Amino acid sequence: MGLFLNTVLNGVSEGMVFAAIALGLVLVNRATGIVNFSQGAMGMMTTFVAYSLLSGGIGYWPAFVVALAAGFFLGAAVELIFIRPLQGKSPLNPVIVTIGLLVVLEGIAGSIWGVTSRGFPPAFSQRGLRIGSTRVAFSTFDLFIVAAVIVLMAVMIAVFRWTDVGLRMRGAAFSPEVARLLGVRVGRMFTLGWALAATAGALAGLLAAPISSFGPYYMDLNLVYGFTAAVLGGLLSPVGALVGGLVTGLCISLVGGYLGGNLEPLGALALLLAVLMARPQGLFGSAKARRI
Amino acid sequence: MRLRRRRHALSRSATVLALMVATSISAVGAGVLGTTPASASSTTGVTAKQITIGATVPLTGPAASGYSEIAPAMDAVFNWVNAHGGVYGRKIKYIYLDDEYNPAKTATLTRQLVLQDHIFADVGSLGTPTQLSVQKYLNSQKIPQLFIESGCNCWSNKRYPYSFGWEPPYTVEGKLLGNYVKQHFAGKKVGFLYQDTTFGQDVMKGAKLEIPKSSVVSEQNYNVTTLAGPLTTQMSALKAAGAQVVVMGTIPAATALAMLPAFAIGYTPQYVIDSVGADAPTVGPLLAAFTAAGGGSAATAKATAGLLNGVITDAYLPPEGLGSNPWVVVTKKLLAKYAPTVWKKDGLNGNTEYGVALAYTFVQALKAAGKNLTRAGLMKALEKKGHSLTTAGLVPLSYSASVHYGYEGGEVVEFSSSAPPVVTPTGRWPGDKVLTPVEVTTPGSGPVRKYKGRISVPPAFVKRSD
Repeated sequence: MGLFLNTVLNGVSEGMVFAAIALGLVLVNRATGIVNFSQGAMGMMTTFVAYSLLSGGIGYWPAFVVALAAGFFLGAAVELIFIRPLQGKSPLNPVIVTIGLLVVLEGIAGSIWGVTSRGFPPAFSQRGLRIGSTRVAFSTFDLFIVAAVIVLMAVMIAVFRWTDVGLRMRGAAFSPEVARLLGVRVGRMFTLGWALAATAGALAGLLAAPISSFGPYYMDLNLVYGFTAAVLGGLLSPVGALVGGLVTGLCISLVGGYLGGNLEPLGALALLLAVLMARPQGLFGSAKARRI
Repeated sequence: MRLRRRRHALSRSATVLALMVATSISAVGAGVLGTTPASASSTTGVTAKQITIGATVPLTGPAASGYSEIAPAMDAVFNWVNAHGGVYGRKIKYIYLDDEYNPAKTATLTRQLVLQDHIFADVGSLGTPTQLSVQKYLNSQKIPQLFIESGCNCWSNKRYPYSFGWEPPYTVEGKLLGNYVKQHFAGKKVGFLYQDTTFGQDVMKGAKLEIPKSSVVSEQNYNVTTLAGPLTTQMSALKAAGAQVVVMGTIPAATALAMLPAFAIGYTPQYVIDSVGADAPTVGPLLAAFTAAGGGSAATAKATAGLLNGVITDAYLPPEGLGSNPWVVVTKKLLAKYAPTVWKKDGLNGNTEYGVALAYTFVQALKAAGKNLTRAGLMKALEKKGHSLTTAGLVPLSYSASVHYGYEGGEVVEFSSSAPPVVTPTGRWPGDKVLTPVEVTTPGSGPVRKYKGRISVPPAFVKRSD
């Protein structure tokens, strides 16, 4: 029973981190129709910014805010410098560019901060909460992770659904030409989409760092699982990303707890295959009409 | 990265071309002039003034943590030797390339070392999968693959006579630890946590040879290629099974990622960790930083840092914590003077000590091979005189015609400190307490025996190390 409970709780907190990354992926995809493979690496960069501030003796929360702001500007810069010139070209181009960006960012981080892994402080205690006389694998920090990701999702939904900016962003991604005709500054919307997504990525990075061996590469695997989560959720739906993250986290954790830790990635793969075979559009995606 | 790789490919083909032209010219020249160079220059990578050796090690990438310090630390010894005239007048040139612990890269870069840099020997390359990928190639070219930084049980193989391991086979370490557990924790429930690769499996193989099956309650493992988050499920399973002693075959990052969630769920078993994963200066800061700042209280930070206190592990080199040990003293001096950058950045830790000890072994081997250095000569010297070389190891190297493993023994030690343990990012760690006499054993089913020989001390000229 203790094992089951801990496995599930662990799955929830890990899954929420995947969900945070998936939310960033969904945001970029929704705003610009691009899958951003450097989502994790961008979060890594901003987390290193926070790390530098923390090492310099600045408190956790100021560093936290600065990292999120850094994410916002990094996202905007990436869109303006690297993604904008690719508009209207083959959809393969942004894929290659974001993969390239992943490699470059990890290289830069490695040369500035070194490649060794290190610890990163959590926002709250990582000591498991006490239930009765035993401590379970769920800490105040895990609670914070869950809360932060749910807030992130809620904000995203609210922005897309109820704000003017959200509507313009959706319009710009859905049909740039028409949106432009209607007076939407499409380019600005794309930049904003990337900036917000990178802010979500920065949050994911800050949440993942304390429970990983923090270094230039710590987001790689998180990105793979975050990607799994986003695809499970249909790549367009914030709720889908959250549920996808939870399902991925639980699946990995349960496989690890009961079948063996070495089988975790296989568990994620099997899950992805199963969902894509049953629902190719993802759990929360709507089927697209296909031309034959 | 892609660009860089293509440039390598280009320069390689250019080199091959140049090589072909050069050989044909020199063949003509030799024919015309009727003079072939004398024996000294007939060995690739060896001139009257220089020996060129090479290695592939992870300098970047996930495996670089800690391990990237080894090769630069080796240079401390080579710089020191070179400053004193080299070995038989030959200075040592050490070229180490970054293979990122990726066997595909190892294969390419090793060929680059051989074809482009014309190395005499591959010395101190790191990793089991990486070095397995070039073992056949190096042996087919009769290029010594020396002192591989891996305790795989696979380096002593008659089919590959040019390969030599250096550190103890993981199975030997597992046996030393297993033997200790059997003797001192009889009747306790034992759990295993290991990396699901040859490394972790070999450690467990050794431990299982010693620990009775009836006392093992749970076996957990992890996948190193996907080691990102804490090993919460594994530690929960060990706790649920009631394991009081946890024997681990883990890398340092995994050690930290196992101990933290265990601590979080209030599980504090007796840890018994293979030397690889018990590198305190690497693990300690990982543990401490998790809670040192942010919302973690000072008390929690101290408690997590203190997790290392009481950990039992094995050592085949003098434990770095024993400041008075003559090898430790010398190693510090060498690093400080001849590899100041490494010294400033990393100081003395398991990795830098390892690098210095390994490089020193190579220098000793060169000396044993004599003035007329050839590859075959060096192999012969290692097989014949390897066990009598003075090295930092607690036991002598066990090289012979049939054994190409390095040290087949060590001692069991405990991280302990009477004062509150101090683990900071700058690398202080609990002192080491030696628990057993130095012991030897084989990777097979042979018993763990007490080592009767003498413990080596650095020769006088090394002690000065000026």
